[in-house]
Amino acid sequence: MNFIENTKVRWLRDNLFSSIGSATITLITVYMLISMYRGTVGFILSPMRKWTAVTYNMQLYMIFNYAEDESWRAWASVGVALLLAGITLGYWNTGEKTSFNSISTGIFKLSTALTLMVVLAPTETEVMNNDGSRSMVEVISSNQRMNLLIPMAVLTLLSFLLTRYDIQKSFNKTKMIIFYLGFLVASGWLIKVPTVVFDDAGNRVKPDLFLPVATTTTIPWTILYAVLWAAFFIGLFLQKKELKTLKRIIPISWVILPLYLFSWLYKKPIIEFNKVLMNDIPGVLIFWTIGFLIIRYITNEKFMSYKNYLTGVFLLATALILFLRIPFLFKVLTFSVVLLLLVAPAIANTTEGKKSLLIIWVVAVAVLAFLLRGSGSPTGIMTPTGSFLGGFSLTWVLAIFGTYVSFPFGVILALGRTSNLPLVRIICTGIIEIVRSVPYITWLFFASVMLTVFMPEGVEFNLIVRVLIVTAFFSGAYFAENIRGGLQSIPKGQYEAANAIGMNPFQRISLIVLPQALRAVIPTLVSSIITAFKDSSLVAIIGLFDTLRIGSAVIPTQSSPVNFVGTQLDNLLFIALFYWVFCFIFSRRTMKIEKKLGLGER
Amino acid sequence: MSIIVTKDVKKWFGDFQALDGISMEIKEKEVIVICGPSGSGKSTFIRCINRLEQHQEGEIIVDGIELTNDLKNIDAIRSEVGMVFQSFNLFPHLTVMQNITLAPIWVRKKTRTEAEAKAMELLERVGIPEQAEKFPGQLSGGQQQRVAIARALAMEPKIMLFDEPTSALDPEMIKEVLDVMKELAQSGMTMIVVTHEMGFAKEVCDRVIFFDEGKLVEENNPEDFFNNPKSDRTKLFLSQIL
Repeated sequence: MNFIENTKVRWLRDNLFSSIGSATITLITVYMLISMYRGTVGFILSPMRKWTAVTYNMQLYMIFNYAEDESWRAWASVGVALLLAGITLGYWNTGEKTSFNSISTGIFKLSTALTLMVVLAPTETEVMNNDGSRSMVEVISSNQRMNLLIPMAVLTLLSFLLTRYDIQKSFNKTKMIIFYLGFLVASGWLIKVPTVVFDDAGNRVKPDLFLPVATTTTIPWTILYAVLWAAFFIGLFLQKKELKTLKRIIPISWVILPLYLFSWLYKKPIIEFNKVLMNDIPGVLIFWTIGFLIIRYITNEKFMSYKNYLTGVFLLATALILFLRIPFLFKVLTFSVVLLLLVAPAIANTTEGKKSLLIIWVVAVAVLAFLLRGSGSPTGIMTPTGSFLGGFSLTWVLAIFGTYVSFPFGVILALGRTSNLPLVRIICTGIIEIVRSVPYITWLFFASVMLTVFMPEGVEFNLIVRVLIVTAFFSGAYFAENIRGGLQSIPKGQYEAANAIGMNPFQRISLIVLPQALRAVIPTLVSSIITAFKDSSLVAIIGLFDTLRIGSAVIPTQSSPVNFVGTQLDNLLFIALFYWVFCFIFSRRTMKIEKKLGLGER
Repeated sequence: MSIIVTKDVKKWFGDFQALDGISMEIKEKEVIVICGPSGSGKSTFIRCINRLEQHQEGEIIVDGIELTNDLKNIDAIRSEVGMVFQSFNLFPHLTVMQNITLAPIWVRKKTRTEAEAKAMELLERVGIPEQAEKFPGQLSGGQQQRVAIARALAMEPKIMLFDEPTSALDPEMIKEVLDVMKELAQSGMTMIVVTHEMGFAKEVCDRVIFFDEGKLVEENNPEDFFNNPKSDRTKLFLSQIL
């Protein structure tokens, strides 16, 4: 113990107080940090701030004007996502442990920091009065400060004592993280938030009261938390069962999940049964048969000699029917046949491979038909703005699907730009250069005003779909340039080695070049995805209600009995926090993935 | 019976003529060493044999298949011919086992268990079965080159090409790679080796071929090549390296 304290003291001396100059700089920095902290706290707690504008409009932020009696759908969407998250955490649980000591040290550090924060918090802050003069207002009374300090001090002391005892006990790390999340849920029951309240006469009670969080919020969260635990244990159970197929099913589920949520659960599509009978069922049956025949005869030599022509025919068919007025399902499935023809010779060369490929094909076609039926049907959610998406839900749709569509598109563009075929190269370079040289906002206007003009007659897309098409091109172009950098970093020897062992170009790209190229550009890809996530707020300009638009729209709210004039700052700060939290979590997670892939080590 | 026949092969890199009329025949189970000063076209020549470089004139016939622009012929030849590179060119994102089994599974369409059994056998043959689950970056140069040899052998080639396999290695590691190559030669593999390891040439090979300025200068059995070479250029070369 003595040794550690000595090294800490030495670290302080060596790094912060090594000379008079550095000691001065350290002290000045500490003073600046403390004043910044005091200023921030004063700003947050100032009576000028009306955080009620945020808490009162939380429902708007989350689901916008989604029908109230259908709001269970929003909760269920989160629930399904948490269910899958829990199963994933359990199934891939590495059994990593956190020792009791490191937990108590963590609590000690946290409670010390909190105690310090309470001690340093300012007593009063400066506010501007209506006549422009400035005056000081009390923000934390000495009573409040003591009420906070006593439990903090007790907690600090307790955790400090615990660190002194060497308790040989450790806990599963993932379990601990889920356990910590429980504090967030519990705080929903315990804390009181500023709430707008009206008295019997219908006048707003001022100052706003602190009331417990509504049970319509706390009860669903508690249920969701229980779901997470249950799913985690299910995952652990499945891990023990050692079901190998789950290893494939779980990642695929993560791809399908948002598609399902936003085309079925959250959307509540109105299904027209005659369309299901006329389009979906025959379509699925036809393409099941085509897939079955291909898989059945792919090993046949005679068939193999015609394989390339068949692939060409289906590719041509995909291009030709793209603008015909036939159900979207048929267009997608025709293209899927091309993909099947490409991968089938590699997988369906044994009876076992044939069987598994057939299962994959049957499930994939059925799932595609199911999802497309959902997304192609009108929504049953009646909203005044015409769209059932708004707020966070819209931001998520744009972020997730923007990445889904633009990332593969970017990979294709990057490969095309580095291709040896001149025509492909010129087209891809042209797309990238044209798309990149025009501002995103211009493209958004293009989506909202022009895109329908360019479409053939009868083809009409929802505004959100048009935005996604434009985003696919725009972020796709940026992804493409990032990935091209990765492709160029692959040494020529890798291509030669792949050629020398007899790989065809398709295998060379998918097995050797792309895995290495993508790994090399993870950092730039992450920043591109973050940029795309934040840029999604620009859709406010073309009339969609995303998080940012709602933040600025709640201010006048003439229809509401509450007047939030002058609260723009609070809302914008809240939105900034929202974006920051998600970007930060995302960048942390990808850093871990980077480490796992051993980037820069090998 | 000749397994490789080249007739008057010529190749240019821009204005520079890398190969100037190379004609030779290589019989089955023969071990050939190609040597010569740098820039003499010896690497280019063996890279032409499996179409990593394209020759512009002349004919190359490997195992009865002529190398033309026909992709089918190229694929057929590449799966007959294994190649080992100076800089190993292992796939850094895959483990040693995955490196070796990749081509058998995807190109030869073997099952995974079959390919892995074969890979393990080959790793034992090159003497590093314990490294199967490591990544190439975790191995020494000599071990990496042995993995590269195992990777080429996993395709069960009829011919092995070695493009200066020991030039990038520390002196200590050269021996372990050469030992593997010697064992391979004794097992009856047809091999073309571009190397500066004259010890290997003296001990193992059936013929030594000397290249200079894109021309085949001398073709001789190893004994005569080292003791009484025919051309003056060879004498000069040997005096400089021995």
